[in-house]
Amino acid sequence: MTTPVVSVKGLVKTFGRFRALDGLDLEVGTGEVHGFLGPNGAGKSTTIRCLLGLLRSDGGAASVFGLDPWRDIAAIHGRLAYVPGDVTLWPNLTGGEIIDLLLRLRGVDPQASDRDALVERFQLDPTKRGRAYSKGNRQKVALIAAFAGPAELLILDEPTSGLDPLMEEIFGDCVAERAGNGTTVLLSSHILSEVEHLAERVTIIRDGKAVETGSLAELRHLRRTTIAAELPHVPPDLSALADVHDVQVDGSHVRCSVGPDGVAAVLRALGEAGATAITSAPPSLEELFLDAYRTGGFETVAGAPSSANDS
Amino acid sequence: MSGTLLLTRLALRQDRVLVAVWTLALTAFCYASAAATPSLYANAAERASAARAINDNPAVVALYGPILDVHSAGELAMTKATVLYAVFVALLGMILVRRHTRTDEESGRTELVSAGVVGRHAPLTAAMLAVSVVFLVIGLLAALADIAGGLAVGGSLLFGLSWLLLGLTGSAAALVAAQLVPSARTCAAIAGGIIGLLYLLRAVGDTSAAPLSWLTPFGWATRLRAWSDPRWWVLSLYVVLLVAMVALAFTLRARRDLGAGLVAARPGPAVGAPRLRNSLALELRLHRGMLIGWSVSVLAMGALMGAIAPGVSGMLTGQAAQEMIRRLGGPGNLERTLIAAEASIAALVVTAFAISVVAHAAHDEQNGIAERTLSTGATRRSLLGSTVAVAACGALWLSLASGLGVAVGYHRDIAPVLLSVLAAAPAVLVVIAVCVLGWALHPAWYVAGWVALGLSIVAGQIAELLGLPTWVGGISPYSHLALVPSEAFRVLPAVVLLLIAVAVGAVAWLSYRRRDIG
Repeated sequence: MTTPVVSVKGLVKTFGRFRALDGLDLEVGTGEVHGFLGPNGAGKSTTIRCLLGLLRSDGGAASVFGLDPWRDIAAIHGRLAYVPGDVTLWPNLTGGEIIDLLLRLRGVDPQASDRDALVERFQLDPTKRGRAYSKGNRQKVALIAAFAGPAELLILDEPTSGLDPLMEEIFGDCVAERAGNGTTVLLSSHILSEVEHLAERVTIIRDGKAVETGSLAELRHLRRTTIAAELPHVPPDLSALADVHDVQVDGSHVRCSVGPDGVAAVLRALGEAGATAITSAPPSLEELFLDAYRTGGFETVAGAPSSANDS
Repeated sequence: MSGTLLLTRLALRQDRVLVAVWTLALTAFCYASAAATPSLYANAAERASAARAINDNPAVVALYGPILDVHSAGELAMTKATVLYAVFVALLGMILVRRHTRTDEESGRTELVSAGVVGRHAPLTAAMLAVSVVFLVIGLLAALADIAGGLAVGGSLLFGLSWLLLGLTGSAAALVAAQLVPSARTCAAIAGGIIGLLYLLRAVGDTSAAPLSWLTPFGWATRLRAWSDPRWWVLSLYVVLLVAMVALAFTLRARRDLGAGLVAARPGPAVGAPRLRNSLALELRLHRGMLIGWSVSVLAMGALMGAIAPGVSGMLTGQAAQEMIRRLGGPGNLERTLIAAEASIAALVVTAFAISVVAHAAHDEQNGIAERTLSTGATRRSLLGSTVAVAACGALWLSLASGLGVAVGYHRDIAPVLLSVLAAAPAVLVVIAVCVLGWALHPAWYVAGWVALGLSIVAGQIAELLGLPTWVGGISPYSHLALVPSEAFRVLPAVVLLLIAVAVGAVAWLSYRRRDIG
């Protein structure tokens, strides 16, 4: 059992009377790509800033590489790379200068790094000044600086904001490559599809608390499968079956969402009715996500604490 | 011009705190100066001799301009306000106009606004309209304060008008500067440089080459003779200058793209120099242009003041002047007084540089850049340390540069000249420490530095005018230091100030290492 790269237990951070983090739990294992999901203002960036030692927590415990993010800041920062969601650059330095500066500040020699290949890959013009870059290009500068050097942990805070779909794909490839090399990735986002493709485990947070955490498989297990079928005639009444919801009938077409206990019965019923085509889709993270927001207190997988300060 | 009035109101709303503080301070100063004059001088003869004493001291004339009519009570009461305090009025105009033009443009706010039904020139027009309102109020209140303080109504109104016009001059300078360069910082440097140059030109003119004073709006303020036998036509000089500058700004704006300067941005290096590898190197790189610009300016200012120093005693031919020169210990000492005065202005100027370095670091924290830097191997200690190092060492270097300038212009007694500029260093360091402490407590509180500098400039004078106890003037760390080279250097106050600076700096570090970033 290795110690997790990131471990947060019952973390509390207040700004005046506002509780930004209210007993948050988060655990990211070595070599794992961990999706960190939540709506705007849920406390994702606050958590990350606490992990980077930029904010001082008011309660609970946090560790990165088993070290205290507030005290051992230099030791931790030497081993990680960070990309913020809203990248501000020095207006009068060029993109190339900024990438090299950020690498050197991490102790990486830019010439020995993957800088040139990444500049090529992300199609960045490194000779422009910071103030002249568009939002997406500013993001690219930060991403290149993060990916170019070796890092044991990548902390990416909504890293694809402003990137076009092509660049998003390249970003995904880069994350997958780094993960393949054993890099741990904490990927915060509210864009679910990118997390779904990349992450093995996710933590969903809301109002400064973790409401869901677990592997995608575990989370799917909890949720319903969408089943759609084409039938030769008007379909049987599925809504009478156990654990079947939202049945929609459109002529000979039927569509419903089915909990784990109802799948076998539904398939049987459809088969008996002579279905000509059946499609089933696992619940998208979108659905998990919306559900978690809407209800807040639904089944919690890995024991998010109900009270704020127990750690 | 659609949207202009809306933008004007928006601008005034953003400015209300800054403008209120500035207006209050300036009005209070006018009232105090006007009201204090009768109590300071019993009769007309005393006033006239005080006015002559001012005219006979080139250091004072260099700072405040001459008194053209020694019998005028208004002119004596408003000596400092006419030119020196008018610089603060002009600076306010510069600050406000830059904020509403280039700063908004650089941050993208102008783009947001321009997408609405707003004409291309609306932001410029709105900025000028807003400052017109501000300076109309300031000019009027200054005039009312003078009248309330017992000065003549006509003179007071004309004096208020001169402040209005000088405020607009500073504003127009910023309006032009904002069209030249894409960076709000460079814009401030250009506009501030223009104001400084115009002030300096007048100082040289008033002390040694009178025609030069006619080339600058600050010289016109004295030559308007607001208080005695006004030259109304001087007002037209301001109007011509203002119209020309505003027209220039609008023409330049029509020729450039939003967000761009006059010169298209050229591609820069694709890779970073190996030197640029730590916080200190970064800090130096960020302030490189500013350091060069300031160095050239203070060198030039020093050289000018040094060059006019030997000539001033020859200009003083009156009996009172000869008496004063004798009292000071001969013409050599008179020159030293002038050099000491130059050194004391230089001390304030270099402090302003240091504060702007700390302010830059504080802004970088507010806009998220510090977060970027601190998420790498750079630590809080290196970030704070390199900012303080560049601020303090930069200020000391600029002091030295201004001393070198004086030495070049004066070309005799170089050692005491260099000593004169370094003698003020402990006070400079105290103000820097206060500024850093403000930043260390909260990223927006670096403003403490500007407040400390402003108080240092006005505290002594306000205490004197209002008859407050002397310790009030002692708030200014600069007031405790000897005026080298006309006085001998005193060790004790210098050491005490250094200790204060170190102590305040230590508290700043303790606070900065504990607080949240951003």
